[in-house]
Amino acid sequence: MNQIEITDPTRNDSKQTPPAIQLIDVDKSFANGNQTVQVLKNVNLTVPSQKIVGLIGTSGSGKSTLLNIISGILKPDHGQVCISGAASDKFNDWSSVSYMFQDDRLLPWRTAVGNVEFALEAGSMAKKERAQLALDALELVELESFEKAFPYQLSGGMRSRVALARSLVTEPRILLMDEPFSRLDAQTRGLMHQELLRIHQLKHMTVVFVTHDVAEAALLADQVAVMTPRPGTIHEIVDIKLALPRDITQPEVTSYMQRLRALI
Amino acid sequence: MAKQSSEVIDDKMLVPSFSRRLRPEVIGQRIALVAAVVGIWWLSSLSVPHYILPGPTRVWDALQLIVANGDLWNNLTITLWRVAIGFVLAALFGLPFGILLGANRRIGEFFEPVIPALNTVSSAIWAIFAIIWFGISNATTIFVVFMTAMPLIITNVWQGTRTVNADFIELAQVLRMPQWKVMTKIYLPTILPYFFSGARLAFGFGWRVSLVAETIGSSSGVGYRLRQSADLIRTDQVFAWTLTLVIMMAGIEMGMMKPLENYLFRWKKDAETE
Repeated sequence: MNQIEITDPTRNDSKQTPPAIQLIDVDKSFANGNQTVQVLKNVNLTVPSQKIVGLIGTSGSGKSTLLNIISGILKPDHGQVCISGAASDKFNDWSSVSYMFQDDRLLPWRTAVGNVEFALEAGSMAKKERAQLALDALELVELESFEKAFPYQLSGGMRSRVALARSLVTEPRILLMDEPFSRLDAQTRGLMHQELLRIHQLKHMTVVFVTHDVAEAALLADQVAVMTPRPGTIHEIVDIKLALPRDITQPEVTSYMQRLRALI
Repeated sequence: MAKQSSEVIDDKMLVPSFSRRLRPEVIGQRIALVAAVVGIWWLSSLSVPHYILPGPTRVWDALQLIVANGDLWNNLTITLWRVAIGFVLAALFGLPFGILLGANRRIGEFFEPVIPALNTVSSAIWAIFAIIWFGISNATTIFVVFMTAMPLIITNVWQGTRTVNADFIELAQVLRMPQWKVMTKIYLPTILPYFFSGARLAFGFGWRVSLVAETIGSSSGVGYRLRQSADLIRTDQVFAWTLTLVIMMAGIEMGMMKPLENYLFRWKKDAETE
């Protein structure tokens, strides 16, 4: 619970980097037939810049909804969302926020490099520049030799890397991930974790990832927000004070996993 | 960490999919087939009068005649031109209309019965209407091709719009992609294979019905010349015209449509090579 200071987002302190993401008293309900279901209640969360934060909880705890609210796809009913110190509805640099889905969502008619380029096509960047940046991003995930391969020619892990490259090509300051590796086998998932940490070391983007896997949370996160369902709310925030990279066999990691499991 | 993860090395490297259409034994089979057909044709022609079934040599002579006097080229181009105009009009109308029907459920439901109704009307009926409305002119053939091809294209495009993946739309939303880019970058590539198969079907049908239209509503074109040859009991010329049509359609199909399809849809998993 400690270590999280709620700063006043309206106060403009130029000396200090504002938190990457700040949620204040966020509520969200969905209409289900003629009854409304409260999915999020009174959620407060501060994600410090450049940190890796995990959102963990059982299904129905609203973690994906929370991620969608941060990404601006959903609007909260009440409360405030601030991205890089600016209120979400006034924030206009969404290209600095990337979103990685649970599945890879590669467009089957585009090559690997074409899929990465897709993320740059919302704006008006020149084709040549786009192609170069996309190649650089593929190189970052060590797939540059597969630039011309179509998704069907790639393995699950490779497709996941292409999706990662697509979410990194815009040079995001914030990377949001919704159970990004949950559909991969355990071994490939482990490789993707190493990949993510390596890239984080290089780029220092803020990462918020949703997971239901305590091991994933304990291995990657600086901070884990534990969510409980009905209505979804942040139950506790656990700081994981272990150096990265971590190994699942470390006793400290195991004890954090037990602690997280007890909290869910 | 390992520079190349084991999962990448273990993976099957990209195997280019070789088509098996051009293997030597396939070519041999094709030649044998043509030889057999021509042989049976020749044997059969020996015992019947030439105006019932002309032999291969007689047809070959007739073919050389219509090539030499320019008849073949003139009529083939005029028919092809009519088919192309009717087909392009059908595509220009069918593609946006099919997308509209797919994108808007209410409009789609409203127009749903129209398409099967149009499909059941025989091309001969369209030809008769066309003669009533347009007389003996290019418009008659173009109209018949249009009315035959258009419902086919609409049906296929409509079907294609139903397969647009909502996840891809969400991806574009997260990227803050403007609506028109979603149309060109997600809807269009999804619909393209459906449009293409519809267009291919429509072109084949259009080509066949154009001949029907020309036999009754035209004073030029392959269909007109076919009927004229039949009226004059020049069966050898009927055969010659038919032969050129078959060869040309096969040429367009194998030389143009198939390579174009292979190129456009190279991203699709090739079932044959798996």
